[in-house]
Amino acid sequence: MDYKAVIIGGSAGSFQVVTRILNSLPKSFPMPVLLCLHRLKHVRSGFVEALSLKSNIPVDEPYDKEQLKPSRAYLAPANYHMYLELANRIALSTEDAVNHSRPSIDLAFITAANAYRQKLIGIILSGANKDGAFGLKKVRDNGGVTIVQDPNECEVRTMTQSTLQLTPVDHVLTTDQIIKFLNKL
Amino acid sequence: MTVTDQDFQLFIYALKNSSKYDFSQYSEKSLKRRLAKVLADNRLNLTSLINRMKNDTNFVEKIVKEITVNTTELFRDPQVWQAIRYAILPKLKNNSVINIWHAGCSTGQEVYSMLILLNELDLLDRTKVYATDLNSDVLENARQGLYKYRFNIGYLDNFDKVIKENPYNFEEYNDVPYEKYFSIDKSNDLIKMSNSLKEKPIFKKHDLVTEDNTLYVKFDIILCRNVIIYFNYELQNRVFDLFHKNLYDNGCLILGLHETILGTYSVKFQKKGHAYYKN
Repeated sequence: MDYKAVIIGGSAGSFQVVTRILNSLPKSFPMPVLLCLHRLKHVRSGFVEALSLKSNIPVDEPYDKEQLKPSRAYLAPANYHMYLELANRIALSTEDAVNHSRPSIDLAFITAANAYRQKLIGIILSGANKDGAFGLKKVRDNGGVTIVQDPNECEVRTMTQSTLQLTPVDHVLTTDQIIKFLNKL
Repeated sequence: MTVTDQDFQLFIYALKNSSKYDFSQYSEKSLKRRLAKVLADNRLNLTSLINRMKNDTNFVEKIVKEITVNTTELFRDPQVWQAIRYAILPKLKNNSVINIWHAGCSTGQEVYSMLILLNELDLLDRTKVYATDLNSDVLENARQGLYKYRFNIGYLDNFDKVIKENPYNFEEYNDVPYEKYFSIDKSNDLIKMSNSLKEKPIFKKHDLVTEDNTLYVKFDIILCRNVIIYFNYELQNRVFDLFHKNLYDNGCLILGLHETILGTYSVKFQKKGHAYYKN
């Protein structure tokens, strides 16, 4: 099975996990990694730099209509929703926040599920609200692979638990197991 | 309410047939979501929406207004306005006339940001500021220069960063009072732009997607921020063509922080800092 993208959603407590994942992916990771993480509205700089520090693949905040490439990570810019359009392009939007969030993890996941269907891997990490639960359900409904970080390991478990309440998932994994999984792709 | 691909295509087709609006090249994901919201807000299903659109032009206008996105702020992204202040406007200080176009100005906050900055740089008298939008309601709001206060306290921080502080010299502080440009009426929860600013710009309804330049002048600066994100890649290129044709040589285009020129027009502009200069 050839997968086309990995999408990761997280909020409070996810930064360390995302950092560890990025630091352990190979330079030649065969697909793009989409990151939709909640962040403070007015903290617009420093986040990409922090994630990039030890990452083996470049991490960028994408421009609107930018075409996705493998072996790169794309972080949803602060204060924009990030959609996946067909033809591998990202689209940004300043529409109203959804569940008090912009970027909304649900919207990013729903549109990615729609664009990549069974060729998408969706991962929900630690977080303090339920944004992302519905999005991961849509990944599953479209035939994609669904992974939730083990709530016992999460700094804040609201996001992972509400996801598990809403939908069955393929894997509940610790950070180490997520890393192993991704490295086998 | 979810909107299927087929529903979406039907809506676009109906709109095109019952009005001069063509949304067929809008960015699909965002527009679909807006359409779902419009249907829910109006408690309509797609069939009844389309039927009403056929016979009621006022209703079509209302739907178009509801479906477009109108997020904007005073001095949104202060670093961009600092660049306008310290890198872009100074190049025009010897011009006898400066023409500026705010394309897709929404409720006008960036128009007033520009007017304030021009006044601080003593350039306001010789500048003509044009502001256009597809939506006549937001243009009326822009003309009135009235904004909610409580919701927008961030405006004041942005103002301080661009007008009072100098990012290149932390010792400099220009204590420009807000009242010079707008009054804050806390009891009515309003920020009111001053009359002297309000009478300056020329506001006009204009559709970037279907119309040519209807302002009949060329421009030194075109600001079009967080507008083209709602267009698909092909339509973005049409709009870049329109802008390119209507900039003076050495004129520049200023886009939203995460917008850029991809594709064929990327070679016709040169990016310097936050501005795309016409080649």
